[in-house]
Parts: sequence; C-alpha cells; structure tokens
Amino acid sequence: MKSISIIGSGPSGFYTAYHLLKKSPIPLNITLWEKFPVPFGLSRYGVAPDHPEVKNCEETFTQFANAYTIPSGSNNLMHKFQFIGNVQIDSEKLFKLRSIQDCVILSYGCNNDKKLGIPGENDTLGVVSSRQFVNWYNSYPENACATPEQWKGSDFWKNVKNVAIIGNGNVALDICRVLLTSNIKQYWQNTDINQASTEAIKHVSNVKIIGRRGYEQSKFTNKEFRELWELEKYGIKGNIDSKYLSNVDESKLDRAGTRRLEMVKEYMKPFDQRTKKNYKKFKPPSTFTKFWEFDYMKTPVKINKDARNNRISSITLAINKVNEMNKFVIDNSKPCIDYPIDFLITSLGYKGVNIDELGCQKHLNNIKFAGDHLATNREGQVLSSMDNKPIPGLFASGWIKTGSKGVIVSTMIDSFTVGDEVIKYLQCSATSNQQASIIDLQNTVLDSTNYKPTTWFDWLKLDAYEKKLGNPRRKIINIADMLKIIGK
Amino acid sequence: MFKVLPSSLLLKSSARIKRNILYKPIISFTSPTVVTPRFLSTTLPRLHGHLHKPKPGEELHCTFILKDGTQKKFTVAKGDTLLDIAQGHNLDMEGACGGSCACSTCHVIVDPEYYDLLPEPDDDENDMLDLAYGLTETSRLGCCIKMNKDIDGIRVALPQMTRNVQTSDF
Repeated sequence: MKSISIIGSGPSGFYTAYHLLKKSPIPLNITLWEKFPVPFGLSRYGVAPDHPEVKNCEETFTQFANAYTIPSGSNNLMHKFQFIGNVQIDSEKLFKLRSIQDCVILSYGCNNDKKLGIPGENDTLGVVSSRQFVNWYNSYPENACATPEQWKGSDFWKNVKNVAIIGNGNVALDICRVLLTSNIKQYWQNTDINQASTEAIKHVSNVKIIGRRGYEQSKFTNKEFRELWELEKYGIKGNIDSKYLSNVDESKLDRAGTRRLEMVKEYMKPFDQRTKKNYKKFKPPSTFTKFWEFDYMKTPVKINKDARNNRISSITLAINKVNEMNKFVIDNSKPCIDYPIDFLITSLGYKGVNIDELGCQKHLNNIKFAGDHLATNREGQVLSSMDNKPIPGLFASGWIKTGSKGVIVSTMIDSFTVGDEVIKYLQCSATSNQQASIIDLQNTVLDSTNYKPTTWFDWLKLDAYEKKLGNPRRKIINIADMLKIIGK
Repeated sequence: MFKVLPSSLLLKSSARIKRNILYKPIISFTSPTVVTPRFLSTTLPRLHGHLHKPKPGEELHCTFILKDGTQKKFTVAKGDTLLDIAQGHNLDMEGACGGSCACSTCHVIVDPEYYDLLPEPDDDENDMLDLAYGLTETSRLGCCIKMNKDIDGIRVALPQMTRNVQTSDF
C-alpha cells in the first residue's frame, strides 16, 4: 500500500484522486486535504450559479468518495480514501506530510489576483477584482474573504448603473451576465446564487467589457458568448462596434473563431433580418433596457475618484495600436479618454501562490515558482528552486500547475495525465513502509489542538442541510456556522 | 488502428463541407490486428449505468473503438445515448457534466459512414465541440447521439486525449 496526499479538493484535486483510484494497480491510501469544511473548490465557488450543469462533476466526485471513504468498512475495494476538511496546508505542514507520504500532489489552484498596477486600484471604493466579485455572488466563506465590506452593502449600490469590466475571459462574461440579469427573478430562482448580491446589483444597466487587445484575441468561449447575446429576449442588448471587426482575417480563423464571427454578425443585425434560424430563437421586446458592449484596444492608466467619499468616478484609458513586433502598445499620438463609471471589476485572471510562502516557514520545501504558478517538469513533478531538479514525490495538477486558464475539461485531462505519471512514479519507487493511519496523519500534521478537521461524512451532513434550505441549495456563508451545523 | 490528426490540421471551417476531400483517413475503422489486454479492477464500483434493456426484436447495435484499438460491440436499446452506453459498460468516457451537453468529455469520432445519418449538431453541441481535444471532421458528443433504427450498427472511436493535441489556452 502506498500513501498519497492531495492538497485541495477542487476539480483538479478531485479528478486526480478519482483517476488514481480508478487506474492504480497499486493499492493506494489517498488523503484529500481542503482548507474549508466543504469540498469542490471552484466548482462550488467559481462556476456561475446559472451553470448548474457544469457543477455536475461534483456528482461523480461524490459517488466515488462515498464508495471509497473509510470507514465504510464493508467495502472490499483495494484503495482507501479520506477527505480532511477545514485544514489549511502550509509550508510547514507540507514539509511534514512529505516525510510520511509516498507522494504529495499540490492541486490548490490559484487564489490570488493578477493586478492592473495602476493608481487608485487598491484604495478606491468600488474597484474590486473578479475573484472578489465572484466570491460574493457565490457565497464564498466570509471570514476567508479579505475585502472591504462597504461595497457589499445595498446602500452602496443604489447609484451604481454603469460598470466596467477589464479583461474579456469567461469570468468577465459570467460577471456581465450576472450584473445585467440580477433583476430577473425567474432567471435566478432555481440557482444557489447569493440573493443578497442579486438584490444589491439590480440597478446596473450598462456594462462595458474592456480589452487591451482586439476582437480576435478574445479569450472567452462561444457558449458564454452566445448566452450573452441570447439575453436580448430579456431586453438586454449587446454591441460590438463594427470597426473592431473590419480587420478580422477570416481565412486565419479556426473553427471556434469562424463560428464566433458569424454569431456577432448575425446578432448585430435587427432580429427580422437575420438569415439563420438559430439566431432567431426568441424575439426580443420592442425596447431594450440594459446594455453591454465590448470595447477593444484600450489600456487602463488611471482610476479617478470622488474626493468626498473615495468612490470611483471614472477610468482613464489610453488607446492602443499594434506595433511592428505585432504587440499591442499604447498609441501616444492619441489622447486618453475618460469613461464615467460607478463600479470597476478587474478580470485579469487568477494568480497562484507558492505554498512555501504560507505559514511560519520554519521548514521550506524549496519549491520553484514560475510567475503565477508552480514550476513543474513535463511529468507534472514540482521542480526545486535549489537545483531545478524534480523534488522526489512532489507533483502538481490543475491551475496551480498550468496557470489559470482552460475550462473544466482541460483541468480534467491535466489531472488524469498527472495521475498516470504518479502511478508510474510509485511503481518505480521503493516499497513503502509508510502506512500512515488517519491518527498518525492527524497527529503528525495537526500537532496542536487548535484544529477542527472535518470528514467526508461531516460534509454530507452539511450538504443535506444546505439542500433543505433551498433549491438546489442555500450555501452557508460562515465557517463557524458550518462547523455548528456539523456539530464540531 | 489510431492515427491522431496533428493539431495544425484541425478543421478550420464548419462541419460537413470539406470532409470527403480532406479528412477521411483520420482513423481507420478496420478491425485491429493486435488486441491489447487491459487492466480491469474487479472491485471498481460502477458509478454510472442507467441502461435500458432492448425489447426482444428491437435490439440495436453499436461499436466503440477504444484508445488501445480494442473494439467493443454492444447490444443496446433505442433511446440510450452513446454516453449512457459507454458509462454503463465502464468505458473510459467521462461525461463530466452528466450528459447535459455542457462539457466535451464525451467526445467521440464517428465512422464517416454513419456521420451523415446523424441529425446536425445544434449550437450547444457545436460550442462544446469547439473545445474538444483532438477534434476531427466527424467529431460529435456521445451525450447527443441517441440510438435509433437509422444509426443501427454505428461505430465510434474514443479520441486520444493527450497533451500533444492540447491547445495552449482558449
């Protein structure tokens, strides 16, 4: 029997565990660590509430966790699995874990923000990162969310009508959709969205999605884009100025790009003039009340505020051009422009944090970092900052390995690939005598009494509780409340 | 048995137009000469499998070509999707979104002989196929192919999902 710890129970951690349990010919004892009492990471707290079908991966995870979790006792399965929640693995704990496990896999994702780095970004009321905003509408645990509380109050939102989003990945599109549909009751009634958030943002009527580059460099996928256009049936109108489309070289587009361009061209036409029936599914009302627009080739340079209340009043943008090197740079010959806005969301992608920077750092693992994610080799083995060689028995999967890009299928494939490499690694490594029991694991890693680790069965209890509160559930926001419900 | 198309050749325009000229020999659907034995844990819990039993006389057939070239032929009932069938028989097909056409993990490559018998993919399916790994001209999603008399005998291959065909980001 070989022992494996996986850090983080989001899709990457769970898919890695799932693949190992499914494929390993060697009996495994897998421990999945999670900082919250609740599992599923970005599936629970990142995926938009109106995309419940994307969260269906949780059902697969639940089925196999139920089947393999100790002590179901009666099972005769060759592998063992346990979930330990409410424990943050830091540098020190990772160091200890590595000494008692045959393999540790880091799958803790990216939970910091990439920044614009411009004046006013960090000290203006009404400027938040996409992660903070998504966390809010997805009921991310309160005490884990270090954000200024003022913008979460309903008073703040009374005068918020114009919102700008910087960046145009799928997260930006999710946020745009949430902002503009927040007043439509039937749209959200069967979701687990934080109702305080939709109630607060219901006055928003204009959203600008601003990109540094052009239309062709858009990062979102067609499903999210189509959803945005289809909101026209609720009187929500989209726009992309035709000047951004005029330079598109259609012969260079891939399949997705060709379909995307057709979508824009069709939806920009009046409803009756569209040629294909799939763009005429729902006739929009005669007047539009809310609007979204893509704005390209702009670089934010300054956030301006109202001196009286420190709230954002406008954003200053420079106009970009494409230079000889084919890079997008600021065109200094053109004057900057100012957009008056009431709220700004920066959606530039998530950034990973080196686990060596967490905790007291008495023992470092000498993990090498590559900009916004861990440095790994082709096999997914984490590299050492000392000699650039793979650290024995330390792997990474998912966003902390690849950076914050790709949809769930790419995370799944990455996790499966790393799982295969871990199996190969374990087959080659010496026979293990480290059969750490749960008690050993907890005593070694959790050496103080301050911890209240939670189990898979605790989660099932909380899960049932949340599902009773609403359809499909009402998330408990506070960790202390979660523990109370569990009975810890 | 399996030749994976280099990513540079992935199709550039929408479905059916150029298929017969350019992309036919992606996979050969001839019988494999070598059948590789595959590790199967006897204790693996069956996680899915809500298959219907075909009514006597109404049996339909479909064949899956696995990643190692092995062919599996199943007798199936009308109305079951290829995803249902694959999961019911513990083949390596994920269906991460539970068969609701919201991911591309049930991507299959349809034998060109059967491809045109299928109704055209709708927007939802096409949006997901945009993201599928190792996309080919006859790619479809297993959750969107429902067995019926017209496609009796359909043959599909499971694509290789490796980093070789992974686009860097999307």
